[in-house]
Amino acid sequence: MNRSRGETLWFWLFAGPAVAGLLAFNVWPMLYSLWLSFCRYEVLAPPEFIGLQNYRYLFTHDPAFWPSVRVTLVFTVANLPLAIAGALGFALLLNQPVRGRGFWRAVFFLPSILPQAAFAVVFGYIFQADGGLLNRALALAGIQGAAWTTSPTWALPVLIVVSLWSFGYPMVIFLAALQDVPRELHEAAHIDGADGWARFRHITLPLISPIIFFNVVMGVIGALKVFDLAYAFSVSQAQPMPGGPARATLFYGLNLYQQAFGFFHLGLASAMAWLLFAFIAALTYVNFRAGRRWVHYGD
Amino acid sequence: MSSLSRPLLAWVTIAALAALGFWWAGHRREPAPRPGVTEISWYVLINPLREVYEAQVAEFERRHPEYRVRIVWVPGTEYNVRLKTLAAAHQLPDLFYTGDVWLSYLMPFTRDLSDFARRDAAETGLDTDYFPEIRRAMQLDGKIYILPEHVNVSLLYYNRRMFREANLPEPSAEWTWDDYVRAAQRLTRPGDEHHPAIWGSSRMEGWWGEWLIFVRQAGGKVFTPDGHRCLLDSPAAIAGLRFYLEKSTRYGISAPAGFEPVNGFVNQRVAMVIGGHTNFWTNYNQVTDLDWDVQILPAGPARRAGGELAIAGYSISRESRHPEAAWELVKFLTRPEAIAQVVAHGQLSVRRSVAEAVMRQPGRANPHQLEAAYRQFAYAEPIPHHPHYIEIMLQIVQAEVDRMVIGELTPEEAGRRAAADVNAFLDTFHRAAP
Amino acid sequence: MHRRPALASLALYAALGLGAFVMLAPLAWMLLTSLKTYPEILRNPPAWLPARPQWGNYATVLGGFAYYRFFLNSVFVAVMVIAGTILTCCPAAYAFAFYETRFKGLIFGALLSTLMLPAQVTVIPLFRAFAGLGWVDTYLPLIVPAWLGGNVFGIFLLRQFFRTIPRSFLEAARIDGASEWTILWQLVVPMSRPAVLTVAVFTFLWSWNDLFNPLVYLQSESLATLPVGLLYFIARAEQLTGGSFGQVPWHLVMALAAVMVAPVVLVFVLVQRRFVESVASSGVKG
Repeated sequence: MNRSRGETLWFWLFAGPAVAGLLAFNVWPMLYSLWLSFCRYEVLAPPEFIGLQNYRYLFTHDPAFWPSVRVTLVFTVANLPLAIAGALGFALLLNQPVRGRGFWRAVFFLPSILPQAAFAVVFGYIFQADGGLLNRALALAGIQGAAWTTSPTWALPVLIVVSLWSFGYPMVIFLAALQDVPRELHEAAHIDGADGWARFRHITLPLISPIIFFNVVMGVIGALKVFDLAYAFSVSQAQPMPGGPARATLFYGLNLYQQAFGFFHLGLASAMAWLLFAFIAALTYVNFRAGRRWVHYGD
Repeated sequence: MSSLSRPLLAWVTIAALAALGFWWAGHRREPAPRPGVTEISWYVLINPLREVYEAQVAEFERRHPEYRVRIVWVPGTEYNVRLKTLAAAHQLPDLFYTGDVWLSYLMPFTRDLSDFARRDAAETGLDTDYFPEIRRAMQLDGKIYILPEHVNVSLLYYNRRMFREANLPEPSAEWTWDDYVRAAQRLTRPGDEHHPAIWGSSRMEGWWGEWLIFVRQAGGKVFTPDGHRCLLDSPAAIAGLRFYLEKSTRYGISAPAGFEPVNGFVNQRVAMVIGGHTNFWTNYNQVTDLDWDVQILPAGPARRAGGELAIAGYSISRESRHPEAAWELVKFLTRPEAIAQVVAHGQLSVRRSVAEAVMRQPGRANPHQLEAAYRQFAYAEPIPHHPHYIEIMLQIVQAEVDRMVIGELTPEEAGRRAAADVNAFLDTFHRAAP
Repeated sequence: MHRRPALASLALYAALGLGAFVMLAPLAWMLLTSLKTYPEILRNPPAWLPARPQWGNYATVLGGFAYYRFFLNSVFVAVMVIAGTILTCCPAAYAFAFYETRFKGLIFGALLSTLMLPAQVTVIPLFRAFAGLGWVDTYLPLIVPAWLGGNVFGIFLLRQFFRTIPRSFLEAARIDGASEWTILWQLVVPMSRPAVLTVAVFTFLWSWNDLFNPLVYLQSESLATLPVGLLYFIARAEQLTGGSFGQVPWHLVMALAAVMVAPVVLVFVLVQRRFVESVASSGVKG
């Protein structure tokens, strides 16, 4: 009894700051932005309740909302399969008995932790139409490269390609999962005459499918969070408004920032924030259900 | 004893360091106020005149020991957005540098200077020394919110050597779009393996800088006078957009979308530029073999007027606790001697006396036809003073123009779509606003 | 294990080598560019290598433009954030690992659910609150959350590690009269040094790489951290060369980007094995 009360006291002493942080920096802002999402709030005047008008404007009139959803979707659909395939491919390579595995793993992982802002700027220079590395290399081969960074057609593909450099996290997770695949299964299949592809298809793939699913969900959430890369890219291209050209790189997260801190439509941006939150909550729930067998969050 | 005191000492040290860290993280980098001294905070966009401003402030403090000025340099990335962020946090400085382009956006945070201006009219020369077009640009609903320091105006820039070598007469003040296109076509040379392409003209992409001129010269407008409706779907506006598009697609006088040669005019790969940033001038003059000049803009089908006139200057925060002190500094920064220094760095003067003094200077640097720049004032106008102007033009309209430039939309479609989107925006955020 | 034929082995190393080359090429180009002169950048066809490495470019960006200040600002913010994270996440993780009390599961679940939350979702009310406190244009909005257990991933990782410590160790210390505070800092944390180090490195990366929060809260040039400073540098370089459509001195921009990247690479090289393994075992993405 005495012990348990002491434990409760110590629990709150130790966990108190974190719980206070949870309330102050997550719970309260979430509730407050839910309220703001039903308000007109443009900084000058206090928030004024307007019902569902923000949501209605987003869905029916806002010229930037659906384009930003589209950009995020295209990015996810184009980038994710490539990134997952690349991560799995290199994880499979590294799962072979290979000399200096730690070194290779570090090299493939490194770009994933570099500042996205710096990365965007470096690639912005590489893809420059007049004077960039890519077009100069193409010119040596007699090919006239496109205006990659200033073309509404090419700007998003450029960012999709740039993001392929950061598959380190899924790769490392795949590698850990692959190393958990019991070797005896492969040995047995090998003796039964199954070739490499058959063994991958029928043994490895089923065993790591929850991890693939986990990485896909994390990739989708990652795409919804994209900000640094797109913003820094815009600045490095001297775009007068981030997300250009012609909204080609206006990611959802960037659009939200612009609405909130570029134009101070804080009510509208709060509505965008809640739509984002609802979507991520649903995804996380699905992931939690499906991924329970691998990711042990609780007890 | 020692086993107990060691961790204690460690924790005390950590706590002290943390306290120091928080103090450093949170303190406003302001010196402590001294009795009898009023401190004025001044936000300036980082620009090439940094040293000039710092010298001005030193001189001001020498003359007015009762004031002290704290300059805060703010980077150019979204400078005015940052100002509004500070306004939203009620942390605006007393005095800030801005332009009439941003005036209505910042107007709710900006002090009405009309009373000060009327009171000190003799000292500021507001009624006598400022060009009439500048006086118009600095007002909003008849009130003064900004005291200008310099002005940008759209001009036709051209390379004299390239005209000479092509045996062409230099652009005249009577030029029309047709003359401009004809000359540019004769100056354009396709590139080959050994020579880069030479373009008769260029096309400013990514913002309204150039296409708005053509829309206006074709007789179009962005908004109705009350600012409640967008007029970019009018035939005149569409004609302006079409000319902007066809400079490249039909007349072939400027590079295709996205392929503007890097600094083409300075590298002498572009013979004519329609531009507005007069702070290019010092850069142009640093290139020794660049022989350049300016002319007023060629006339469009409806009118010659339509160029952009944008003033930059000083505003005082509505929440400033020292408006009188800030106003003293504004007057100091806009007196003829101060403006002359800015003009010496390649800007255009807002004050007639300074402009005339510069024009009388013998052997001054290019442009030769400096008078043309001042004459262009009469054919230029400020951008519409609309609180959502920047957002509408860059976030909504420009996306359609960008799409037109790469051939996804016709000028008709671009104009119509832009107008429809802007009107939906105005219905929600402008007309309905309290 | 079966021996691979030499050809397959060759193909494997060729694939790895090619992959590594592609992964590192942008960094190499950044370094090469940062050592060139301006004319070398403009030359066409390109100068692949600098004729003479221009180490002075680094002096120019750090000294001439006072960008060392951005570096120091970044270091300051990172140190404060790491300190706050360690000092508040360790006790919280200890509490969640060793104490039983009502609502523990609920609170822990709520904490974990915020892991997926993008910063954009909460930034508007937080901005309003920080503005009300007069904290805009100070470092406090970047630092204070870290001192209130803001790094939930850190709590999670530490808790997982703490739980592997046998409770008998704790009980023995309690019998010796050690307080809970002493047990945490003098027994549990020293035993979990690798986990604490990993959390510190993660926190460093998040703080060092963060562009979003400094962009929202820091307004003056003198306060900027490196990611914001890099963008300011580009914008300002354009102004210095005339208007928004001038030339960008890419050699200097790349030098500054290298300055920003270097500490990350250095830290990674020092701790990469443990770091990568903890990523693999926790399955949480940065």
